[in-house]
Amino acid sequence: MKALMKRLPKISMHAFLIVSVLITIFPFVWVAMMGTHSRSEIFSSPPPFYFGSRLLENYEKLLDIMPFWLVLGNSLMVSIIGTAVTVLFCSMCAYGFFAYEFRGKNVVFGVMVASMMVPPVLTLIPFFLTVKFLGLLDTHAAIWLPLAANAMGIFLIRQYMVTSISRDLLDAAKVDGASDFRTYWTVVLPLIKPALATLGIVTFIALWNNFLLPLIVISSPDKYVLTLALRSLQSVANTPWGAVMLGTFLSMIPLLVAFLFFSKQMMAGLTAGAVKG
Amino acid sequence: MAGVELLNLSKSFGSVEVLKSLNLTIQDGEFVALVGPSGCGKSTLLRIIAGLEEETAGEVYIGGEYVNDLSPKERNIAMVFQSYALYPHMSVEENMGFNLRISGISKPDIKARVQETAEILDLVHLLDRKPSQLSGGQRQRVAMGRALVRNPDVFLFDEPLSNLDAKLRVQMREEIKRLHQRVRTTKIYVTHDQIEAMTLADRVVILNQGIIQQVGTPRELYQNPANAFVAGFIGSPAMNFLPATLTSDGTSSRIELEDGSILVADKRANQPSDGKILLGMRPEHLHLSAEKDEHSLKGRVDLIEPTGAQNHLRVTLAGKSTTVVDNSLTEVELGEFVNLKIDPDNLHLFSQ
Repeated sequence: MKALMKRLPKISMHAFLIVSVLITIFPFVWVAMMGTHSRSEIFSSPPPFYFGSRLLENYEKLLDIMPFWLVLGNSLMVSIIGTAVTVLFCSMCAYGFFAYEFRGKNVVFGVMVASMMVPPVLTLIPFFLTVKFLGLLDTHAAIWLPLAANAMGIFLIRQYMVTSISRDLLDAAKVDGASDFRTYWTVVLPLIKPALATLGIVTFIALWNNFLLPLIVISSPDKYVLTLALRSLQSVANTPWGAVMLGTFLSMIPLLVAFLFFSKQMMAGLTAGAVKG
Repeated sequence: MAGVELLNLSKSFGSVEVLKSLNLTIQDGEFVALVGPSGCGKSTLLRIIAGLEEETAGEVYIGGEYVNDLSPKERNIAMVFQSYALYPHMSVEENMGFNLRISGISKPDIKARVQETAEILDLVHLLDRKPSQLSGGQRQRVAMGRALVRNPDVFLFDEPLSNLDAKLRVQMREEIKRLHQRVRTTKIYVTHDQIEAMTLADRVVILNQGIIQQVGTPRELYQNPANAFVAGFIGSPAMNFLPATLTSDGTSSRIELEDGSILVADKRANQPSDGKILLGMRPEHLHLSAEKDEHSLKGRVDLIEPTGAQNHLRVTLAGKSTTVVDNSLTEVELGEFVNLKIDPDNLHLFSQ
């Protein structure tokens, strides 16, 4: 009894964590299961909480009602290019704020940080007008380009640089004869990998899940991204929910892969500075 | 190799003047230490010489060439930082070869030069390690290796030993000294540790509040300090200062302390004018004596600190607490009155 009491906090903690994990993964498992059932099975009562036998049928239907692989390719392209460009430009801007002293630096940085407080919905119309002015309407660049140097990314990386890179290192590189770009590329970038990974995964998820911007700027069906394409299926008569769920589940896989790829670095980024090293 | 010359060099940060019209000439191959208390401008001066900081006014010459407008690389200097500033993601070999790589030197040449430098500094077995896998002393040696491998005209050291423990500091000090004997490149060494400066440098520059107080060999600074600041800064334990009144006749000087005690010394050519002065006496020049005469003072022992080879005594002289280093290890009691004798040549007189 005494031993049980001693272990009670640990058991409670594990129980809490297990319940949290179950709540978190339930929708994913549920979607995966629904992707293997027909429409009528899904709407039967009680709904089937097991894997069914209509996977291939649903897959064929999915390809029938939408060009799934083309749309997945569009989403991948937008997310990968957008992530790469965002990580590159945000880190370059952050390096500027970190390494250089210039007149008005604090004001510019303050305005940039303050801009994060503006609700994104408020900027939709100006955003649309800008994209139209630039001639980017109905192009994928209209989805990723506006995020290329965003305040959150710059702020995140700049703060990481401040806490993890000694200014002596920049001076040492200067004495060694490294140019500004070389210092950034060879000395600074390798040292901020955790912050880059964090920004990378956050940006990738944001671009992958982005629905509002594609809805506003993309009009040609062959340029649809997954969120738009899956949403458009709801107008199909007798929506084949099994196929929609399969498409939804397949669309999550790249996110899981991206997370697995970046998670180690990302955890390091999130916990950096938490302990004295 | 090259000498360094500074002409009317000034530096201000906003309204704060950190360096005030400095003039200094450092000979080719000379080892010069810049010493002073925190905030005296010594690191700023070093950074200006390196080209990492821009001067507000004045001129910097390296090897006779005007370098104010040149980048750190173009000045051909190498710098060892207090924090070592090694690139954490690169191996020791990559750290040492970074500059050479940027300079476009071929890989085999880089390897050969890094190897040669590593041999001098006993780093060969560490070449594949990352800085995080090295001890403080090893990191310090890598930082020096990175500077050495470039074959620069001038070496700049910015308090390179201050992050090391006392024992390692002594060891590294010897290594730097040995390195200078081997590679006689001009070296400018910033430190706040006067022992480091005195033991390493050919000449020492004492800075305070952005002004050069004195430039001289360690012996000159110790024996003939230009002012009370230098006298108090150089020497450990620090020099004792007592307010006194000076009166001189043709050949001798009479120094009267505040309690009425009197010391007599020969008149010197460069001594301050009669009146209120500061009398300086080094702790190691005060000797316990059985007899009282015109070269000794009487004081009360307040504290005894045995250090083994010598005793450090705190003695109240003319109402002021002074330090005495007693090498004779004479047994004295707390509260005991003792006579302290000092050679008149070891009395230092400063204007107040």
